[in-house]
Amino acid sequence: MIAALTNNSTRHQAVAFGGRSFCSLLRAVLLLLVVPQALVADEPLHWRIDELIGTGNAEFLSRAAPRAGDAEFVRRIFLDLVGTIPTADEVRKFLSDPDFDKRTRLIDRLLHDPRHVRRLQYVFDVMLMERRPDKNIPSKEWREYLRLSFLENKPLDQLVREILSADGADLKLRPAAKFVLDRNLDVDLVTRDIGRIFLGRDMQCAQCHDHPSVDDYLQRHYFGITAFFKRSYLFTDPKTKKVSIGEKAEGEVTFVSVFTDEKGETGPRMLDLPGIADPPKAKKPYVVKPAKKARAVPVYSRRLKLAAAMTDPSNVAFRRNMANRLWALMMGRGLVEPLDMWHSENPPSNPKLLNLLAGELLDSGYDVRHLLRQLALSKTYQRSSRLPDGVKLLPADRFAAAILKPLSPEQLACAMMQATGLIDRTLPGIKQKLKAGKKTGADASQESLLIEQALDGALADNVNLFVTTFAAAGVQSTGFDPSADQALFLRNGTVLQDWLKPAEGNLGDRLMRLDESRQIAVELYLSSLSRRPTDEEVEEVKNYLIACGDDRAAGLRDLAWALLTSAEFRFNH
Amino acid sequence: MRRNIGCNIVDHVISRRDFVLGTAAGVGLTSMIHPAAAAKLKRDQKRVLQIFLQGGVSQLESWDPKPGTELGGPFRAIPTSVPGIHISELLPYTAKQMHRLSLVRSINIKTNSHAQGHVFMEKGRRNGDFPFLGSVASKYLSPANSSLPGFIHISTRGLTDNTAAFLGAKHAQLKLEGVKPPSNLGRPGDLTLAADRRRNELRLRLNRRFTAGRPKAQVESYDASYEQAAQLIARKALFNGEQSAKDLERYGTHDFGRNCILARELLEQGVTCVKVTHHGYDSHAENFNFHLEQLGEFDRTFSTLLDDLAHRGMLDSTLVLIMSEFGRTPKINIRYGRDHWGTAWSIALGGCGIQPGAVIGKTNAKGTAVADREVDARHLFHTYLQALGLDSTAQHDVPGRTIPIGDPSGEPIKELLA
Repeated sequence: MIAALTNNSTRHQAVAFGGRSFCSLLRAVLLLLVVPQALVADEPLHWRIDELIGTGNAEFLSRAAPRAGDAEFVRRIFLDLVGTIPTADEVRKFLSDPDFDKRTRLIDRLLHDPRHVRRLQYVFDVMLMERRPDKNIPSKEWREYLRLSFLENKPLDQLVREILSADGADLKLRPAAKFVLDRNLDVDLVTRDIGRIFLGRDMQCAQCHDHPSVDDYLQRHYFGITAFFKRSYLFTDPKTKKVSIGEKAEGEVTFVSVFTDEKGETGPRMLDLPGIADPPKAKKPYVVKPAKKARAVPVYSRRLKLAAAMTDPSNVAFRRNMANRLWALMMGRGLVEPLDMWHSENPPSNPKLLNLLAGELLDSGYDVRHLLRQLALSKTYQRSSRLPDGVKLLPADRFAAAILKPLSPEQLACAMMQATGLIDRTLPGIKQKLKAGKKTGADASQESLLIEQALDGALADNVNLFVTTFAAAGVQSTGFDPSADQALFLRNGTVLQDWLKPAEGNLGDRLMRLDESRQIAVELYLSSLSRRPTDEEVEEVKNYLIACGDDRAAGLRDLAWALLTSAEFRFNH
Repeated sequence: MRRNIGCNIVDHVISRRDFVLGTAAGVGLTSMIHPAAAAKLKRDQKRVLQIFLQGGVSQLESWDPKPGTELGGPFRAIPTSVPGIHISELLPYTAKQMHRLSLVRSINIKTNSHAQGHVFMEKGRRNGDFPFLGSVASKYLSPANSSLPGFIHISTRGLTDNTAAFLGAKHAQLKLEGVKPPSNLGRPGDLTLAADRRRNELRLRLNRRFTAGRPKAQVESYDASYEQAAQLIARKALFNGEQSAKDLERYGTHDFGRNCILARELLEQGVTCVKVTHHGYDSHAENFNFHLEQLGEFDRTFSTLLDDLAHRGMLDSTLVLIMSEFGRTPKINIRYGRDHWGTAWSIALGGCGIQPGAVIGKTNAKGTAVADREVDARHLFHTYLQALGLDSTAQHDVPGRTIPIGDPSGEPIKELLA
């Protein structure tokens, strides 16, 4: 039958020009039948990622970094998925595990660790709010909303729909309104940040004129987004003093170019997609009429059209942007970089790959965990950051070696608390307290969730201190910008110095109990850099302690300090 | 298109970052710089001194007096060292410095909000995420051999602004609370000098090993932050509050006096932009008493600082700005106050690249509107940068983005440029 079809179709093509559509249908059927299925549908995403990055390309492979060692991998995957480094014991266990599939098992375990939820909460908080100071919604409520969303693995498109449509009056979803309410419903700011954060396009310049140097950022794109919000306003409830969003039933958006004086008018629209027309004017346009003491609610809301327009499959910019951001989170740089400068002069470095990821995001129902898992499983993710001698580095956007990722302030705080043993010292008290309060969970997973929450609460001040010192508010700069005051904080500040002091069960204490310099070096390196020291490094530790003479305690403390402030610690590599 | 007013092109074409990070261009040029050229670079380094009169200084009690008019207030105007220019009698010392300064009397920024006025005057943009003048100066003027922060702001209070925007934390202002040293400048008590040195050497050794086979730029930038910290620690004496009795007598023992002594020392040490904020000009009540007191403090101290910069030969390379977020209403309210007024007010400036003794624009007889040569913060921003020899119409050196340095809809006040 297949053979007959083939013959038919080729003959058909060869002898006649008619029946073209019949022909292509036949070819399509044929393709499905003859191409081995594994290459099309069942091949896991991470294989296809590696293929598009360069598997099979001999030139690429000759210049790509080798597979990362287990120690390099375990540190990296902990930092990326659970936001901190593994303990010395966790590293030992992983290194000695003979199972060839242990990386996959670890990835799956960490994706279900309560700390993974916290990690996503931090990542999306910074992505969406960019460390703005609180205005109308306390960050505590917002972060809890994010945490619960990631705990249930809420589809990303649903999360975005909630964030873009919450009005602050509906108490259940009030925290989700932070994106708009904490930008004070400043139409220009909200428009710009929706463009940047959800569409990957910083159209700021298009506010006053078509972008002078970026041909495809047009004034109508900017004002198309503005139009969703133009009728909305901030309403302060006279009784509760709570701020929420009211909306009028009329108001058009017009704009004039400051360069050409060309005028334009637009309704709500998503980039170049068709505009969203208002329904015919209703006789009674309001559910609640605008009044001094009442939040206006129109029958037809332009603002509420945004969420669906944003996440509609026709708006490819949204899923490509989100796929690009998740890729950058794991790989250290976007396929479009900077993340919010997507335009024809700055296209993705690997458009096929980005389309693949965006498609997978859509097909998986915007399953963030699924995408992160596939990225983590790829050979691309699991390459070493170190190139063999004599190999010249390919440009970073080829992803031939793992890119150094500076730890976020939260990662740095958690990793330092882990390395110095502060977490080990805090945990027993927390477990005891939960037990005493009979707050033990129904099962193990619920219990670990409660422990994570209590630990996060107990150490929140430390994390906040690192955020104050190491983070910048406002639009995130993509580079790594260490400053003098950060170095002073680590060099002379009391926080790290205190953590390094021996106290029962912490790193300083464990080191003090060891005599032999090899043991000391191993404990030190496993605890801080998540790997065993080389012989050269053991020797270095030995000599360092000799140089310190009688003051062994100070010597151990300073050794640990040097490791914690080293670049190897400062970066996820 | 780049203006080059007698300054070595190298010191603003190559950003400090390129040097620090040792990118191809940076390495090449560093090795090309002859020691003699390095000395010249140091001498020719362009700097900025900003005195920010916070709250909104009254133009009528300072640079644009209208004595004897309905809204002019009680103070007289006095002649200055430039024939024909008169300023308020509240500034007798500054009046003698007028040949080193110029005035812009026709500013209309169309806002009466502290925050908006401040941001507009600093960024030259009404809104949006743009760097402050000091961060721009830090990025493009800091020389290769300086490891000090490029932008230091001495203030006694106020919030920390996001000054660097996309230029990054390295060019953000380092804020000093008066002459109080930055946090964490002192070595922990139980750490000996020798131990501190030893652990730092180990840290650097570890980093060298780590960079083998890996890209070096970020690690070098991380090391540079420790080097900057070390430079601040080495200059701890600057912050220990022990300023010479002679200086204190000349500058005054008040906060502003001490802050200006520190500013002079920081500029001498090679900090690119030093901003000193003088608080307390928001005189909604008792405007005249407040200005008498505030400007009394400002006048002698500022004039001493300007003298010192001139005597040290630094004025040709240091742009001096006395700015504010706006002026004050001509109308006097019932509490003898003047309110916020962005509509017609003045600033003074001088030094590097500025034509001295000039007056740009004017207000009408009562001071209620700009009568000639209206400008706003966009024009001033272009003017500052061009005075420093930078092309304000060029694009920022930020990868993947094209961002005009000055607002493309503004232009410099050409007649002010030397």
